[in-house]
Amino acid sequence: MRRLRSIAHLLPELIRTLLKKGITVRFPFEPLDLPASHRGKVVVDPDLCKGCGLCVRDCPAFALELERGEGGQFELIHYYDRCAYCGQCAESCRSGAIVLVSEMIAPVEGRDKLKVTIVEKE
Amino acid sequence: MNALFSTLFAVVVFPGFGFLFLCALAFQWIDRKVIAQLQGRVGPPWYQPLADFIKLMVKEDLLPTSANPLICTFLPMVSLTAVLTAGLYVPVGDYTTNAFEGDLIVVLFLLSLPSLMYFLAGWLSVSVFSVVGGSRALLQYFAYEVPFLMALAGPAIISGSWSISYIVDYQSQTTWMVLIQPVGFLLAIVGLIGKLKRSPFDIPKAKSEIGAGPLTEFSGRKLALWHLSLHAKTVVGVFLLVDVFLGGSDGLAWWLTPPVFGAKALMILLILAVAGVLYARLRIDQLVSLGWRVLAPLALIQMLALIWMGV
Amino acid sequence: MNDTDRLTIPIGPQHPALKEPIAFRLDVEGERVVESALRIGYVHRGLERIFQERNYVQNLHIVERVCGICSHAHTTAYCQAVEAILGVELPPRALYLRTLLCELERIHSHLLWLGVLAEHIGFTTIFMYTWRDREIALDVMEDLSGGRVAHGVNVIGGVRIDIDEEQIDSALARLGQLEELMDTFMDVIHHERTFEARTRDVGYLSPEQIHRYCVVGPVARASGVDVDLRRDAPYAAYDRVDFRVFTADEGDVWARTIVRARETVESVHICRQLLENLPDGERTTRVPRRVPSEEAVSRCEAPRGELLYYVRGDGSDRPARVKVRTPTLTTLITLPQQLQDINTADVPTVLAGVDLCIACADR
Repeated sequence: MRRLRSIAHLLPELIRTLLKKGITVRFPFEPLDLPASHRGKVVVDPDLCKGCGLCVRDCPAFALELERGEGGQFELIHYYDRCAYCGQCAESCRSGAIVLVSEMIAPVEGRDKLKVTIVEKE
Repeated sequence: MNALFSTLFAVVVFPGFGFLFLCALAFQWIDRKVIAQLQGRVGPPWYQPLADFIKLMVKEDLLPTSANPLICTFLPMVSLTAVLTAGLYVPVGDYTTNAFEGDLIVVLFLLSLPSLMYFLAGWLSVSVFSVVGGSRALLQYFAYEVPFLMALAGPAIISGSWSISYIVDYQSQTTWMVLIQPVGFLLAIVGLIGKLKRSPFDIPKAKSEIGAGPLTEFSGRKLALWHLSLHAKTVVGVFLLVDVFLGGSDGLAWWLTPPVFGAKALMILLILAVAGVLYARLRIDQLVSLGWRVLAPLALIQMLALIWMGV
Repeated sequence: MNDTDRLTIPIGPQHPALKEPIAFRLDVEGERVVESALRIGYVHRGLERIFQERNYVQNLHIVERVCGICSHAHTTAYCQAVEAILGVELPPRALYLRTLLCELERIHSHLLWLGVLAEHIGFTTIFMYTWRDREIALDVMEDLSGGRVAHGVNVIGGVRIDIDEEQIDSALARLGQLEELMDTFMDVIHHERTFEARTRDVGYLSPEQIHRYCVVGPVARASGVDVDLRRDAPYAAYDRVDFRVFTADEGDVWARTIVRARETVESVHICRQLLENLPDGERTTRVPRRVPSEEAVSRCEAPRGELLYYVRGDGSDRPARVKVRTPTLTTLITLPQQLQDINTADVPTVLAGVDLCIACADR
């Protein structure tokens, strides 16, 4: 009996898989549910951002840039294509202004559209 | 004039090129879908094999400089021609173009021509992967062909004729051959898996070892014809097994024949698909040892048993 | 072709048998491999030089991307080295969370490897099944940390994540599922005859060869050499959990499969212990940004063996030198030895059996 079973060893498992539903998610025809902790888009709260530049200093991919003008003016630029979505900026920010939401960036045409000014302050 | 028209119809439409082409696409889709579902995946949509064929037909056709382009164009055409000609002589339903005594031998001979072409394709397109794949294909041919032929000779011995239509008629009067000689049926299935180079005997085209084996250097239309000949061989092989072991159409009424014949063909295709999924790929020396130590003696015992029963 | 009927088969840099680029040139006579030559360096990115140009916080994320499969092991070793220089003590909760991710990563890496081995011997079904079940481990990691393979969990001084009761319960449930599914694979490895026929007596390494080439990890354990850093030089929270180290005696690819499969099941037990006994407390301690001019060596048991990091500070916020020694480098050296006189069809099995991670080895 044992030798007989060993000829078609995987057969019970195959039948079990046939009866279960497949785990493929037909994205984008079906919605893909991401957990809440999924690291997606970088979102900065403009009221909390002080322009200190800690996030710029700690970003490993040089995806954040701070352009300072006169009189406390600054612009925080984010490059979506350089960003590795590691979340170090959220960890380094002392004001708690940065959070990575579980949303994905939509594809765009043209790399210049991926350079985005996310905070502009006077 | 009428004879010419009916011959042309038989060769081009049914059961010739058109019918075999559609069946090749359908069988390929069913095979891929069943294997995918057994592995927990989704599988391709119904038009995938047709899309693959069209894509290959319009792709660029390159060959290495040291390969002979004339022969390399000739080989897939000969392979496809042999398979389609064999398809004309295998009864589909209860229709056959021209049944004569000995057409089983002709069909078996024609079905082994593609294996020779496959080996030559590997040998003549001089890349390293192809040469190794080609020599493996030839070794494999000798391992499974002998048990396969002996297993298919069994029904011929019992029914007393080498004509497939006669074997089908004999089965409709007595019983299916698979019930008289189940071992022969199993050996025929194993031999068919080896002939079609499906897993677990897909050694010549073992992807992880030698690229695509003998067909590594083919592309474009030549590769489309190779794939078509391989899938048409699947169809002809399955139909042959249905006729010789499962009773073909059982002599039923004309409107019952397509579903019954189709169901039997589907069953054999399912057996082939499940066998492909169950096992790991064997090494060539393990396959040769299996062929000569297990399969050939079993086939011999089966044949001797049949002769003793018949006498 | 200089000899009578010797063929030279090139495997790589691009080949279906390889996950990552590496080049072998095999001299084959008939079906027997006579000689082999190895060439590496195709994935060399010059990371050790890049580490000197970035500060410690940025380096953390680059260290994570040295390798995709054992990323957490790299960050653990790096953080431990820097923490040793700074002389900081981690809170126990941080140690437990670090260890939890280490073990989850071991599960995912071993299941990935089992699938790759099955694919190379032509057993596509097991490939599909193991990668389907690996998704469970990846989902747990994503739920806890936010990333499937690049977790970003370690920071210098602790961890960046914190988990609550709900996450612990869901992780425990999913790990229970995974443990049941592992039964199928243990069954196949032990009893499926074609699997055994392809992996037994292939790629044999004796214990003397293990010692001579300084091989580490499951490859060493499969030849009977009992070495495991988690037990011999415990780091993180390994001194507070109970686990067994498995060895086998056959020394071939089948023994390596057994060792890795058993380690996977044992990792599930370790994760369960960690989740059930998670202490309360802080998840990180404050560390200064500048690291004094001292050096430290830290070791970690990555899924493939012992991983070694040497870090030297120079008083600024950039390291003066980071040296990485990955376990794959030790197993690569044994490959020409293993490929001697084997069947050509066994070459992918041998390559898969040592679990190469070329991105790690080339840095």
